[in-house]
Amino acid sequence: MTPQSVYSDATRTTGDAIIELVGVDKFFGHFHALKDINMSVGLQEVVVVIGPSGGGKSTLIRCINRLEKHDRGRIVVDGVEVSDDLRNIQEVRRETGMVFQQFNLFPHLTVLDNVTLAPHQVRKLPKKEAETLAMQTLERVKIPEQARKYPGQLSGGQQQRVAIARALAMQPKVMLFDEPTSALDPEMIKEVLDVMVELAEGGMTMIVVTHEMSFARAVANRVVFMAEGEIVEVGTPEHFFTNPQEDRTKLFLSQIL
Amino acid sequence: MTIEAPVVDETQIAVEPARGPWDWAMKNLFNTWYNTLLTLVLGGVFVWALVALVPGLLGADFEIVRVNLRLFMVGQFPVDLLWRPWLTTFLIAILIGLMAGSIAAGARDLAEEAGLPYAATTFRQILLRFWPLIALVIIILGFTTTITPTLLTVAAASLGLGAYYLGRAQPRWVRRWTWLLAILLILGAYLALAGFGGVGWEDWGGLQLNLFLTVAGIMFAFPLGLALALGRRSSFPVVKTISVAYIEFIRGVPLITLLLAGFLALGFLLPRDLRPGFVTRMLIAIVLFESAYIAEVIRGGLQAVPSGQVEAAQAVGLPAWRTMRLIVLPQALRATIPAMVGQFISLFKDTTLVAILGVTELLDATFIVNSQPDFLGQGLFVLTLAFAGLVFWVGSYTMSREARRLERKLGVGER
Repeated sequence: MTPQSVYSDATRTTGDAIIELVGVDKFFGHFHALKDINMSVGLQEVVVVIGPSGGGKSTLIRCINRLEKHDRGRIVVDGVEVSDDLRNIQEVRRETGMVFQQFNLFPHLTVLDNVTLAPHQVRKLPKKEAETLAMQTLERVKIPEQARKYPGQLSGGQQQRVAIARALAMQPKVMLFDEPTSALDPEMIKEVLDVMVELAEGGMTMIVVTHEMSFARAVANRVVFMAEGEIVEVGTPEHFFTNPQEDRTKLFLSQIL
Repeated sequence: MTIEAPVVDETQIAVEPARGPWDWAMKNLFNTWYNTLLTLVLGGVFVWALVALVPGLLGADFEIVRVNLRLFMVGQFPVDLLWRPWLTTFLIAILIGLMAGSIAAGARDLAEEAGLPYAATTFRQILLRFWPLIALVIIILGFTTTITPTLLTVAAASLGLGAYYLGRAQPRWVRRWTWLLAILLILGAYLALAGFGGVGWEDWGGLQLNLFLTVAGIMFAFPLGLALALGRRSSFPVVKTISVAYIEFIRGVPLITLLLAGFLALGFLLPRDLRPGFVTRMLIAIVLFESAYIAEVIRGGLQAVPSGQVEAAQAVGLPAWRTMRLIVLPQALRATIPAMVGQFISLFKDTTLVAILGVTELLDATFIVNSQPDFLGQGLFVLTLAFAGLVFWVGSYTMSREARRLERKLGVGER
């Protein structure tokens, strides 16, 4: 595991920074969705982003792989700036896995094809190698036996694990999770969180937007609290759950805990 | 032109527990006084129509169809060149057999890989699947006066069957090239019909012309329509504007107008050497027309694909055009099957409109034969129209059935 200490400064990291955001602003029309975001994430660090809905959490991680275009500031992922240059965007996306709230599996492809697609099409692995890799990845998320089924035949928890496998098969350096358990029935949340915990313990760099405080407590190196497009407070989980400083943080935590 | 009404999903209809027909009738036909009245009136009309029409059709002398069968099938096509449509029929039978065999082999391999049981299609299943078409062929052969067409039809069916087994027996590496063979066969079928000097387009007619315009119309209008649908969603303003303008202009004009305009304009504006043939001009008008409608059908399908699908593809680094080809289009096109087939059925029936250009397609042929001295003024329109109606109905119904089958088959992984 990575070294632990209390950080109150969002720009400090636990090692070499792999993701850096400097002065990032994002507007949707007149709505100021991200306000001067400065943040950096170190290699193998797990950052959990919490906060009320509409606070810019999803927008923040969607800017990192250019699903949304930021309007001001710099975003650098593993030394590559996320800019209008298509090659840069492709390179960042190759190194960044993303898991969505609604899974977004490809319903017309089998589970195996869902996972094989990107390694074969983007990494240009031969079909056979891509399938071997996909099966290994499906074993990591503990559903190799579902490989020949279609997403529509699986439960929500299984689908989300396939979605994690699909992202992992690209062997990304960073994983972004956008509320991965919010669309799941309560009894399925654990199986997905277990996979994520294992991933974190295996040294994956992760940014996780979630409301699962147990997950934050268990594996987060840092917790970032966002509201109204700003980073309000940053700290270790202990700091957050025992001694929050800002009023907005206290209010939010009192509402959900 | 209409978009087909939504297909009724048979699985949604509640299955009534089995009871006697009397109970069923009491419950569904005579449960209220107005339903009883409706049942009696409609039942009376139905029985009257049956009594009036069926003996007339069954007992009728179909001499007029028998004598004019060749006109109905191929129009004025020269008799000594009839080997051309037959050769085309053979090639198409081989094409269909080969493709069906390859598809069956593909399904078998997939099932084997997944360790699932695979049952080859039986002869009985094929009969059940294509009975309207088979019945139509038998009826038409029943009207022939010599044995030759029957022998040739049997030959075509045998060739198709042979090609099916050949297609199924292909090793996998050969099968990957079958599409090349299919293109060659399509090209061959076209050349057999019209190539090497061939027959003047003016002599085309009958069902052959309807079928040619339908198949060629679909083959050319589909890619053009796809391009227009993508163009309409393009982020390049020029491409988008041109696509929208084209689609909206064409959809505002009746097909007859386009047929006439295309026919006359292409005929008069181009110098004689460049002037496309008669059938080509009709085909161009039909393709221009159909592509606009197909574009709108596809656009509907594209809109039905959730944006999360594109985002997920982008997030794993799939480039834009491959996202379109591998993720969006397969889902969009599947969603459009019912509307698309409705469009194709419309096209099949709309090909009768070329009659206004003075071409003797099937429907027109069934009209004009009533002016022949032998049959003039005998009120045989019912017979000839029934024949044309049967042919169009079987064609449309078969398309509709195949579409529903395809839908069910592709619906496997539906959410």
